[in-house]
Amino acid sequence: MNSLADNALMLQVKAGNPDKMSLLFERHNRALYAFLFHMTYKREASEDMVQNVFYRMLKYSSTFKGDGEFVYWMYHIARNVLNEWVRKNKNHTQQADFADIEERMGSGGSVEEAYEKKEAKTRLYAAMARLSDDDREIITLSRFQELKHQEVAQILGISEGAAKVRVHRALQELKCVFLKMNN
Amino acid sequence: MKCEQYRDLFTGMLNNQLSPAEREQLNGHLAGCSDCALELTEMQTMWDLMGELPVPQPSANMRVKFDAMLNTYKEGTKDKRALSDFLKPLRNLWNSQPQWPFAYNIALVVVCLGFGYWFLKTGKTDGQDQKLQQLTSQVHELKQTMMLALLENPSASERMRAVSYTQDIKHADKEVINALLSTLNNDPNVNVRLTTLDALTKMASHPEVRQGLIASITTQDSPLMQSAIADVMLQLQDKRSVNPLRKLLREKNLDHGVRAKISQTINRII
Repeated sequence: MNSLADNALMLQVKAGNPDKMSLLFERHNRALYAFLFHMTYKREASEDMVQNVFYRMLKYSSTFKGDGEFVYWMYHIARNVLNEWVRKNKNHTQQADFADIEERMGSGGSVEEAYEKKEAKTRLYAAMARLSDDDREIITLSRFQELKHQEVAQILGISEGAAKVRVHRALQELKCVFLKMNN
Repeated sequence: MKCEQYRDLFTGMLNNQLSPAEREQLNGHLAGCSDCALELTEMQTMWDLMGELPVPQPSANMRVKFDAMLNTYKEGTKDKRALSDFLKPLRNLWNSQPQWPFAYNIALVVVCLGFGYWFLKTGKTDGQDQKLQQLTSQVHELKQTMMLALLENPSASERMRAVSYTQDIKHADKEVINALLSTLNNDPNVNVRLTTLDALTKMASHPEVRQGLIASITTQDSPLMQSAIADVMLQLQDKRSVNPLRKLLREKNLDHGVRAKISQTINRII
């Protein structure tokens, strides 16, 4: 992660150079989209939220102090946007958009092997979807976003020790659900 | 260490965040604990499988939308900047004020507050006091006139009411005193006369009232009034009243009780 450069870019945005946000978007939009998609399983909503996060970072650039990592600030805003979306869509039971993911589940190897793997991955994906929001969030951050425990702790506003324990518990829960679905 | 504590290290092992010492410690435990080894293997399998899951990809639209949003934002700030450029000389004028005028401003505010306070305070007392005095005197006059008119009323109770008004009149003038004295001497109703006597006693600090009261001793013919007036004289301790009281004693048809009372009063006054 190019955090130093991230902070420098964001400080330039703050100083009145919004064009630099374009570079930050280039660097982070996919990861941010993946995070939001894992939390909602809605393609369009996730894209809108990414947009919203970057808009807020422009609008409230003055609140970026540059003493913490840019990504912590970005995830902080993203989680606010996400919470608002969840509150607004509490009663909506829209179908999750899995089509795109399912299409890309297949992998190389022999036909039989590929089939088995695809099955396992689909089950794992379904198991993820069954987790609580908190468990899924922390797994997403630590596994898919590949953030360190200390970074996860910063984003969630908890201690590093607490983050370790919660990641471990969430993984155990996921394993439980996943193994149950195997049988 | 128990197995549970080693398992806290599992996630660190999975995402490569253990220190060499921790790694060694965990590996040492795993070599002797098949349960933990199995648990970690299962977790590792799942962890690896998660790594193979397809990453959700945003559509190409997102970039386009972002660029549009960024442009709109820049347009918005450009407008703002044009405005702020326009306002800059004004703002500079504001900022370039040296510090001493600021102190001067504060002093001015303080002085203005003080002046305003003083103005309101004096304005209030001057205007309002004058008005209040005017109003009080008007009410006073009104009461007096009403009282004088009421004293002529044929109803005894109305006349008593009129007399009772005099208690509200703080500085009774001659007109009121004369009206009361004439009521005391001439009113046909004993009760009215008694009430008038009460009212006049309260004004006894006026020399005219005292004189009137003493003069009225001989004009009273009702035993009630004679007795009451004797009480008043005793209360006032006025020696001038002795002669009129003696004169009253000389009257032949004086009530026996009243006669005893009056002679007692004379003795006490002397």
